[in-house]
Amino acid sequence: MEFTELLLNAIVAGILLGGFFAALSIGLSICFGLLDTVNIAHPTIIVGAAFCTFLLNDLLGIDPILAGLILTPVFFILGLAIYSMYYQFFEKQSAEALRGLAFFFGLLFIAEVLMIMAFGVDHRLVSAPYIGNSFTTALAGMEFSIPYRLLAAFVVASAMTVGLQVYLSKSFFGRATSAVHQDGMALSLMGVDPVMVKRIAFALGLATCGLAGALMIIVIPIEPAVGRFFIGNVFAIVVLGGLGSISGTLVAAFILGIAESVVSTFFGPSWAPAVSFAILLGVLAFKPTGLFGSGDTR
Amino acid sequence: MVELVIKDLVAGYGNVSVLHNVSIDVPEGNTVALLGTNGNGKSTLMKCVAGLIKPTSGTIRLIDEGNEIDLASCSPKEIVSHGIAMVPEGRRLFPLLTVEENLYLGAYRKEARDKIDESMAFCFELFPRLEERRTQKAGSMSGGEQQMLAVARALMSAPKMLLIDEPSVGLAPILVSQMIEKIGELSSSRGLTILMAEQNFNQAIKIADRGYIIVHGEIAFASKDADDLRDNDMVKSYYLGT
Repeated sequence: MEFTELLLNAIVAGILLGGFFAALSIGLSICFGLLDTVNIAHPTIIVGAAFCTFLLNDLLGIDPILAGLILTPVFFILGLAIYSMYYQFFEKQSAEALRGLAFFFGLLFIAEVLMIMAFGVDHRLVSAPYIGNSFTTALAGMEFSIPYRLLAAFVVASAMTVGLQVYLSKSFFGRATSAVHQDGMALSLMGVDPVMVKRIAFALGLATCGLAGALMIIVIPIEPAVGRFFIGNVFAIVVLGGLGSISGTLVAAFILGIAESVVSTFFGPSWAPAVSFAILLGVLAFKPTGLFGSGDTR
Repeated sequence: MVELVIKDLVAGYGNVSVLHNVSIDVPEGNTVALLGTNGNGKSTLMKCVAGLIKPTSGTIRLIDEGNEIDLASCSPKEIVSHGIAMVPEGRRLFPLLTVEENLYLGAYRKEARDKIDESMAFCFELFPRLEERRTQKAGSMSGGEQQMLAVARALMSAPKMLLIDEPSVGLAPILVSQMIEKIGELSSSRGLTILMAEQNFNQAIKIADRGYIIVHGEIAFASKDADDLRDNDMVKSYYLGT
């Protein structure tokens, strides 16, 4: 293949990968960016959802995307439970985010060990008609090859992230979510219970894990510790986009998706994370609040 | 129109009692000034009415067309739903949200959402400057504009009663008198019952129908009407410097 053809293919794959990254990051953008809860277990919870998708697919033959939709409300309820626990033992006593980090670190390890005990360390896959095939087309004398699995993940991820972004920017609840970390007391003067807003918003962030987990197992084979590889990615995306900006997270997800894809194509996959973090450091050097951050460096 | 009757209120923080048997009456449609210098319990009293502090004893009754509601046992959310809005000390805006988003949040309660366009039009008419700044971040505005936004945000909840805690703090003298005039307009044009805590006596007594002076958590003087407040020797000697 020629250079241009290779580059354009890498960019197309990068855009699709970006959509997948957006689905992984948007929940963290709510929990970390808007609510200041450093949920480092976020990718591991996504892996948990991926294993649930695997079970639903393997035992009941349910389509993985449908399984993700079924899991979304389940993970919403899980989010309510986790936040209630976090609030009771950490946030209520002190507002230090660092102590909360220990809580989520613990959660990460417990979830990982439970998954290893239940599923072992083998890689798991799901089966669906769109997995394994590619869509090939010729355009302007160049051949493009797009795996259907990435396309499916991209479409679902886009619908979820854009829908959530619109909901959070237009609804009363969404506005309260962006206000709650700025001044919870003022919010209660508007007749809003700040703890309730945080609890529901956190649960909404975790609900995205349900669908993101399904997308993860569609895109890559999973094993219990695979979440660790994504911790760097998702945090880099949320910080690059700017804390508190959901649309910034989406833009950052596409930037890193394209960058990783292009670098993997030309220099090999092992360079990809290095380039992601180089972009992050480069942007932070010139704009410490991230691309769309609102000047609040905390 | 609503009336607020506070009787024998005792409140504080932890073991420290700040208010001792405070009784205040805010009649329907009146503007009542709660006067006192820093640290005498004005804000504590306001927070009790808004439900942010639970009083140790005493009653806070809201009388709304014959119905009596005991606010002392209500949550802040319920108090807002009874039509009480507070402009807190130090404004407490959401600095990273725009003027418009701050106003929308003010109209969070159900009854206010239906009237949101009407309320916003009223706020922009009262403070035209806010309309010019509607897409600007609240934190990037001047102190005077922020105070306008704080009052407007409280009005967005379509309240029957407004609690205003120190509207003059941090404002230039010219802005203080403009703000006080606007607050005065509110009670006359909208029939709002207003309780305003203020340490700027000169300004507050311009619009007050009556006033209370609070010293060390106790009511040191309760005026019958506005003249009574202006002519009082204690007010003159301690606070007006004449």
